[in-house]
Amino acid sequence: MTRKSDVRGRRSEVSGQKSKNIERAQSLLSDLRPLLVLALGTLLALGCNGTDPLSLPHDPRLADAPLNIDEPPHVWLDLNWFPEAEHGGYYAALVHGYFMEEGLKVEIVPGGPKAPVVAQVSANPWHFGVDNADKLLLGRAQKADVLAVFAPIQDSPRCILVHADAGIDTFDDLARQTDFTLAINPGQPFAQFLTKKLSLSGLRMVPYPGNISQFVLEKNFAQQAYSFSEPFVAKQQGVTTKSLMVSDLGFNPYTSALLVNEALAKEQPEVVRKMVRASRRGWQKYLADPGPTNGYIHEQNPEMPLDVLQFGVEALKPLCLPHDLPESTLGQMTPERWETLAAQMVESGSLAADSVDVIRAFSLEFLVEKPGGKVGPP
Amino acid sequence: MKRWLHVACDAILPPLVLLVLVAAVWQWAVVRWDVRPIVLPGPGLVLEALYRRAGDLLRSVIFSGTAAMLGFFISLVAGTLIAFVFSQSRWLRTSGYPYALFLQTVPIVAIAPLIVHWCGRGWHSIVMTAGILSLFPFIANGTAGLLGVDPDLLDLFRIHNASRWQVLWKLRLPSAVPAICSGAKTSCGLAVVGSIVGEYFVGYGSKSFGLGYMILFAVDQLRMAELFAAVLASTALTVIMFGVVSLATTAILTRWYDAPEAQGDP
Repeated sequence: MTRKSDVRGRRSEVSGQKSKNIERAQSLLSDLRPLLVLALGTLLALGCNGTDPLSLPHDPRLADAPLNIDEPPHVWLDLNWFPEAEHGGYYAALVHGYFMEEGLKVEIVPGGPKAPVVAQVSANPWHFGVDNADKLLLGRAQKADVLAVFAPIQDSPRCILVHADAGIDTFDDLARQTDFTLAINPGQPFAQFLTKKLSLSGLRMVPYPGNISQFVLEKNFAQQAYSFSEPFVAKQQGVTTKSLMVSDLGFNPYTSALLVNEALAKEQPEVVRKMVRASRRGWQKYLADPGPTNGYIHEQNPEMPLDVLQFGVEALKPLCLPHDLPESTLGQMTPERWETLAAQMVESGSLAADSVDVIRAFSLEFLVEKPGGKVGPP
Repeated sequence: MKRWLHVACDAILPPLVLLVLVAAVWQWAVVRWDVRPIVLPGPGLVLEALYRRAGDLLRSVIFSGTAAMLGFFISLVAGTLIAFVFSQSRWLRTSGYPYALFLQTVPIVAIAPLIVHWCGRGWHSIVMTAGILSLFPFIANGTAGLLGVDPDLLDLFRIHNASRWQVLWKLRLPSAVPAICSGAKTSCGLAVVGSIVGEYFVGYGSKSFGLGYMILFAVDQLRMAELFAAVLASTALTVIMFGVVSLATTAILTRWYDAPEAQGDP
């Protein structure tokens, strides 16, 4: 039988417990109070400023552009890899002064593995970029406001490099290999195209190491490469190779295309036109007389030997001007090529369907000279 | 029950509040300055990527987590054994310690290709990379713990004519356990780093892949939101591993040692 003292004792225990809980809650609140005040204050401040994006008629990032013609505008050209033959024409325009003649002060910024060219051009309107068409479409799917305006390398040099004596002549041969390693970066659009088109599940896929040192040592090894670059480096190290061109399977994005921020193209079309004109002259010069330019590229990238660069130019000529197209058409693009590329990328899973309006990804207007060679309003 | 509520309020609520704050400021900044997803995706896009790739992320967390755990246990055993050896001979210790130090300072991007070259490609190389990266804290803390014994207790053992092995097993090892536990907390994070970065060089099978593959893939595809999601998953893996190791060490220390505060600093 419970006694009153028991009940009273228990009640006071309970009320003691309750007051302890209240104390604990109060101390917790007082600890959290500064944090809560900060939270409320921030949310209020955000709410007051509203959440509309800046919708000015003109991009404020271009505000500090030098508008007088005495001072040549300083622009940057971001490369997608270490300086190589694939950037030769742009370097030629720098080395032979074509940019300066157009009144542009261009600084070429070398890139490297995973260089974020599209992101850089999207973030900085005064930056131009050099990257491939498939990369541009990936960027546009992420709402990058970047356009392609010039495509010097018409046919993609992307290939899979195999040892000449490995007995692999076609992609089907490659897919049939056993105990074979393929070094390829899996997220690259061409890699996704290859894995969709062929069944590569029998091969051991490893990340692309960025050089050919493993390829040279192992016979059962293939890797992604550019047809005018790695084969010659391998030859120098005594290894004869065979290149399986990805473009033979139909995947042929424009390579080393000149990319420009949409805001710059809209507000400073003269600058873009001059850039394209100088680049075209640079590429024409590079294909005809690459000596001085290759010397400069070698200085920028000492690991790229001069003779490899020379071989590179020779191999580049048929890629820049396939089917003996005239030099004046260097850099041209067609909507059909872009649409085909977009469709292939949607099919292989690189792009979500309808994520990119491909017609807005490029512009042909800067490739056309105005009558009399003068630049004027359209 | 109430104790868990307290733990929840003290340990979980403040970081959550901070997370919500940071996410709010991030979302506002992305909208205010019209930042494109390719440069910096907003928190909404990251959450959407987390949800969309949840299956793949979970599989890759399990893959990388298993490799990290195995590497962690291997380095626990190996590190403690090396610490035993170092504690027994001063000459061995002074001659071997600088090489152990090399393990702490060598950059993983230099050592991983070497491991691949020697051990071949495959899951075992990822485990090795995780093990090598997490080895040094065990050697350092283990050695300090094994040597840092109360000298009076050593005298006591000597008085009773204890053999070297008895001193090691019955005195040094039990007094080193708190230090080893402290080393374990440092090592588990390093093991996760090793297993993710190791995958950059080792490669992957076409069917199974870890967080390293998810990160590389997202970068190649320029999908920044998925990159953030993979990074968040890596953080979650590290936190989980750290939590598991902390719980285990607390359990060991409270059961067999005097006070919960006996966490042991070398």
